[in-house]
Amino acid sequence: MMNSGVILAHLKDKPVQAQPQSSSSFGVSSGVRSAAARFLGGNGSKTLSFVGGNGGSKSISGMSGRVGSFGVSSSSSSVGNSNFDGKGTYLVFNVGDAIFISDLNSRDKDPIKSIHFSNSNPVCHAFDPDAKEGHDLLIGLNSGDVYSVSLRQQLQDIGKKLIGAQHYNKDGAVNNSRCTSIAWVPNSDGAFVVAHADGNFYVYDKSKDGSADPSFPVIKDQTQFSVSHARYSKNPIARWHICQGSINSIVISNDGAYIATVGRDGYLRVFDYKNEQLICGGKSYYGALLCCAWSMDGKYILTGGEDDLVQVWSMEERKVVAWGEGHNSWVSGVAFDSYWSAPNSDGTDENVVYRFGSVGQDTQLLLWDLEMDEIAVPMRRPPGGSPTFSTGSQSSHWDNACPVGTLQPAPSMRDIPKISPLVTHRVHTEPLSGLIFTHESVLSVCREGHIKIWMRPGFGESQSGNSDSSLSTSLKEKPSISGKAFSSSYKQ
Amino acid sequence: MGATGSKLEKALGDQFPEGERYFGLENFGNTCYCNSVLQALYFCVPFREQLLEYYANNKSPPEAEENLLTCLAELFSQISSQKKKTGVIAPRRFVQRVRKQNELFRGYMHQDAHEFLNFLLNELVDILEKESHAAKNLTASSPEKIANGSCNGHANGVKKEPLVTWVHKNFQGILTNETRCLRCETVTARDETFFDLSLDIEQNSSITSCLKNFSSTETLNAEDKFFCDKCCSLQEAQKRMKIKKPPHILVIHLKRFKYMEQLGRYKKLSYRVVFPLELKLSNTTENTDCEYSLFAVVVHVGSGPNHGHYVSLVKSHNHWLFFDDENAEIIDESAVQTFFGSAQEYSSNTDHGYILFYESLAASKS
Repeated sequence: MMNSGVILAHLKDKPVQAQPQSSSSFGVSSGVRSAAARFLGGNGSKTLSFVGGNGGSKSISGMSGRVGSFGVSSSSSSVGNSNFDGKGTYLVFNVGDAIFISDLNSRDKDPIKSIHFSNSNPVCHAFDPDAKEGHDLLIGLNSGDVYSVSLRQQLQDIGKKLIGAQHYNKDGAVNNSRCTSIAWVPNSDGAFVVAHADGNFYVYDKSKDGSADPSFPVIKDQTQFSVSHARYSKNPIARWHICQGSINSIVISNDGAYIATVGRDGYLRVFDYKNEQLICGGKSYYGALLCCAWSMDGKYILTGGEDDLVQVWSMEERKVVAWGEGHNSWVSGVAFDSYWSAPNSDGTDENVVYRFGSVGQDTQLLLWDLEMDEIAVPMRRPPGGSPTFSTGSQSSHWDNACPVGTLQPAPSMRDIPKISPLVTHRVHTEPLSGLIFTHESVLSVCREGHIKIWMRPGFGESQSGNSDSSLSTSLKEKPSISGKAFSSSYKQ
Repeated sequence: MGATGSKLEKALGDQFPEGERYFGLENFGNTCYCNSVLQALYFCVPFREQLLEYYANNKSPPEAEENLLTCLAELFSQISSQKKKTGVIAPRRFVQRVRKQNELFRGYMHQDAHEFLNFLLNELVDILEKESHAAKNLTASSPEKIANGSCNGHANGVKKEPLVTWVHKNFQGILTNETRCLRCETVTARDETFFDLSLDIEQNSSITSCLKNFSSTETLNAEDKFFCDKCCSLQEAQKRMKIKKPPHILVIHLKRFKYMEQLGRYKKLSYRVVFPLELKLSNTTENTDCEYSLFAVVVHVGSGPNHGHYVSLVKSHNHWLFFDDENAEIIDESAVQTFFGSAQEYSSNTDHGYILFYESLAASKS
């Protein structure tokens, strides 16, 4: 009863685009824009179509079962082929003691590969689409162990074991607490970070030796941020001590400049990766933060946590600019929709609309719009009068942005503008653990390891003429209400 | 038993908190409902301290009548003054007293821990009120009125100020029930005190969401109209509950036992309801965010309402402990989430958080 099975069952996954060629097709076409607009319109209680499964009728009732979700046990169809060139887009996900890989574009979506771990369960992974050569897939284990491998090499092999892996933090030699989150550092020539449940994250360099150098100094003050470097340029090359309690998620801005962490202590922290400095951060309304995500342009960070709120953090203002209210339980996954652009946007920077999604332990998928001019208005009112959390000088109180390197205290309910979701949809029967936007769909993942793929409406329609019937949409949208009709509301 | 005690001591090592005692409680036949609540109250530090203070001040008269308050105080004092740091104690006198006092708890049937907590707090308040009244009467030189339990002193026409005992100071909050007549728009506010909040629960929800529903606006219409004093008639109205005075100790009872009309009996709802370790009440009338920290959970184990078991989780000096009658062990903070409930109706996990105890962090602020 007291084992941590519940934690292990949490599924975090990443879509992988195994080939740079395939990712070139991920540009935003105008067709998708209008399709997504219709997807998001309506009253939120409409039927969403479901891509995948084994064909047949795709009524909404079918979705309560496992139809179309990736069966955990269906690892029998592992295809190994040394001539396999690996082109395609794959889903990599973990359930129990295994990593599963499915071809996103296959019809049945049964895993084509499973990799089993005998010592500990894989709990997080990351893929580097820009890796020119060598290892591109990272896997973090419950034991603290970390592996880097080549995804293609795994797909070419018929076995159920990881092959050609570089093994870091072997048997938890450097840190034996659970890996919680793992990420490649973009534009860094193979650097990656691994966050652990004890409040540390480590920087690794895949070009360096995997053998551990476990001699990091003892952390004197658990409450203080500190960075230590390895002495002999071995892996891990640095340890960052962030906070007391677990780091629950670590994400890096697209340009590789900033690292954001969220954790048990409820704080979002943003660091300058190169200079190893805390830039800004702030506390949740209450409770731990569980997930976070960067906007494509690095201007905003989404967080979600145990206060049931989706929080929008502005890097420019260094504070929370909006709270999304709509989940009935903890928010476990957030993501910006990088394939979305506003239907009538003319390319200017004014009035930029960001679209994002969130999933929660309430089993719901919510979609949101963030329209900057609407958010900005209520924020012009004077601050709520609570003093800044730490060192802030008197003047910082009146500044629009708080000074660099300070953490904001928890905002008061009345001081933060609220936004409401465009779409609320119960997508699974189990609490959700993550979501991913792809070019043509939204993927939701529940903690039991079931993945569902939600088609962006219109996308399937345009293809239904020459493709499987399961791709046709059953969406009943109200085209008169576009995504634009939504506006943020500001509550007292 | 001794072995588990020393195991706990070993697990804590030199982190064992100075002066703290971790004692399991013996079960006298289905008294786990009692034991689980006692542990939660024992680790409600302000309550414990005030009870021990009371005990210290009222120890003198040996002829004084035994009651639930003295029995509880004696038990807590017995635990806190143990030489050993861990072990097992038999709360014999306290359980006997409970059984004497209330026939409901006399049998050896499975009892409801929430009902017991309610009964206990109300009894303590009654005793303290009677004592205070007796003391007042004594100082007002009316020696003929001796506190013997049956005195009913406030029946003399004088409007009596409700006494605020230390039990009130810890647990009592005030709810205000606002009803707005939809015809004349008049808002009628009626205050009521509470020792705990009983919340309806939904599958895959959070305490935050349950609290929101608790305070959500409800329309009274059709059969359920509101008698408006201003309109002098039944009118449609909107009603909502807000918290006017948040209690220092916020006790949240999850309504996991629901009467199913079609079944003609109670059913246990195993719903997954997540509770954060930190919580804020935002449904207050003052619109101030009142912050709380979770320090105890009474857990119901079992699939039905009429049988099962109670255990408790308590936080003491930043460690989480698991108490199951005689047994006490240390658990990781992350283990608390295994008591949220089940996302599926039929699940092997039947250990569900039932009563949550949060302590306000506001004391340090104000």
